[in-house]
Amino acid sequence: MVYYIFTLVFFCFDYFILAMGLNIQYGEAGILNFAYIGFVAIGAYFTGVFSLPSSAGTGQHYILGLGLPFPVNLLLGGLAAMFFALIVALITLRRLRTDYLAIVLISLSLVLYDFCNNFVSLFNGADGLYNVPEPFAKAFGLTVNSFIPFFACVTAVISLLMWFVMSRVMRAPVGRTFRAIRDDEVVAAALGKNVFLMRLKAMLIGSFYAGVGGGLLIQFGGSFNPTAWLPGETFVVFAVLIVGGAGNNIGMFVGALLVETLLIHLPAFLPEIPGHPGLIEYFDNAVVGIVLMLMLWFRPQGVVPERLRRAASFGVRSGLGMLPQAPIEPAALDRP
Amino acid sequence: MLDSTTGRPERAAALRCEGITKAFQGVHAVNGASFDVPEGQITALIGPNGAGKTTVVNILSGAMRCDSGRAFIGTTEITNRPSHTIARLGLLRTFQLSRELGGLTVLENMLVAPADQAGESFVNLLLRPGLIERQEREHAERALALLDTYGLYDHRDTRARELSGGQKKLLEIARAVMASPTILLLDEPMAGVNPALIELIGGYIVDLKEHGVTVLMIEHNLNVVEKICDYVIVLAEGRTLATGRLSELRENTDVVKAYLGEVIDAGASH
Repeated sequence: MVYYIFTLVFFCFDYFILAMGLNIQYGEAGILNFAYIGFVAIGAYFTGVFSLPSSAGTGQHYILGLGLPFPVNLLLGGLAAMFFALIVALITLRRLRTDYLAIVLISLSLVLYDFCNNFVSLFNGADGLYNVPEPFAKAFGLTVNSFIPFFACVTAVISLLMWFVMSRVMRAPVGRTFRAIRDDEVVAAALGKNVFLMRLKAMLIGSFYAGVGGGLLIQFGGSFNPTAWLPGETFVVFAVLIVGGAGNNIGMFVGALLVETLLIHLPAFLPEIPGHPGLIEYFDNAVVGIVLMLMLWFRPQGVVPERLRRAASFGVRSGLGMLPQAPIEPAALDRP
Repeated sequence: MLDSTTGRPERAAALRCEGITKAFQGVHAVNGASFDVPEGQITALIGPNGAGKTTVVNILSGAMRCDSGRAFIGTTEITNRPSHTIARLGLLRTFQLSRELGGLTVLENMLVAPADQAGESFVNLLLRPGLIERQEREHAERALALLDTYGLYDHRDTRARELSGGQKKLLEIARAVMASPTILLLDEPMAGVNPALIELIGGYIVDLKEHGVTVLMIEHNLNVVEKICDYVIVLAEGRTLATGRLSELRENTDVVKAYLGEVIDAGASH
């Protein structure tokens, strides 16, 4: 029972991290990143190969094999996803918008999947990675049963740290500028905002979160299999985001709890329906799809909608009598 | 105001167009427009529908690339430079159809505008939170004061998409002013607003001029042009047809034929 509960806890917090990453990209900056799961996979792969020993004699094919300890490998996995996002963003973000960007990114996701699945010498093909060392297992003498609760708690702590950082980003002027670009990038540019640079920032920070979320997944399960990173998995993270409420980090936690934990993982632990083995699991995606449609129809803002930042929160004294008269301060013309 | 011998504005040009052209699939929207916008004055850009006025404003503000010609802010060339670069040189604009940042509050719309915000950098976010907080408070104080001036203070916490059409027009102007412009391009600021609000917006525009802002506004309401504009540029078929005071242009047969006559006729038919 403890194993089941902490497995659910792990997935809830891990998808909280993944959803926060997608939220900064889509919910805040309006980047429709349909290749999101690709960045999760890159984070997972690199976290794995940074922690695995050299591939010689393991029967697996992979690069690096540096045997780095946790959380160094996890941090590098996040940075690897970020680096990959930088390459993708430099190619796509400058010229592509909305639907076209989404089409290119979903194509990229498919290419990446085929590439991993077929490039045996680099990614071990369809076998993926396995026997990835469990963090702190030797140091703390953790068994298979004690590792699950331990790592679920580690993931919870990491996700709360990342939530703290993300909250500060979203509350800061950079978050406001992301939302301005999401609402109308022509206006944002006309107000002097470098739309490409800002979208690049959102892409990078979101991909770091994707990479860390993926890294935690491979550390938890101890294996990496390309079939777990099918492009369709991106839409599970989108479901978490839409159900929870785009633009709100608390919403991301609620979405992770409702969609990933209760709808996708909890049914796997339910007793089988007699005569219909596996039937419950087959219904997972259908139920998620129905919930998504209902949410978009009846509550498109999500369970926890985006919060307005009110004037009082800026620390300005209330009462206009205390405010200075409206200063209109035209800067001097740029003349040599 | 205007040089009596050349008819050109006496003041230095804050903004200059030289032979701007722009074609859409072979159709010339702008076909060699050339004009100077005098510094510290209110200039009207008038002309019949399809004359290329909005296209010129789009080109000057960097929202659109021109096919040929050059544009300058003072002596700095801005031809085909991106919008954000032009905005940072002090040229701000509003749009023909109000484009509020709908998901943000009215106050947040204002706070997006200032350039060089410390809180847009991740490094500052980590290392200089005090600076960001102080700057945010200063910006918020100035934004609230501007909202009060523009009659939007009570709506400061309202989502901008929930404002009325006239309030959105006011917000657009206030937001541009928040960015401390030296040149302001207003694309039909009076379109679709009631007469009382027209008076109000006109007053704000004159106030901006008094604070040293150069204004170029597209406007069809000739009463407004006559009342607040110092200088008028007439565009027709993508070319500069004439420039000068409106009273002088009323005597220009080309202008009357191309635009003023049309406006007078249209006015008579209503």
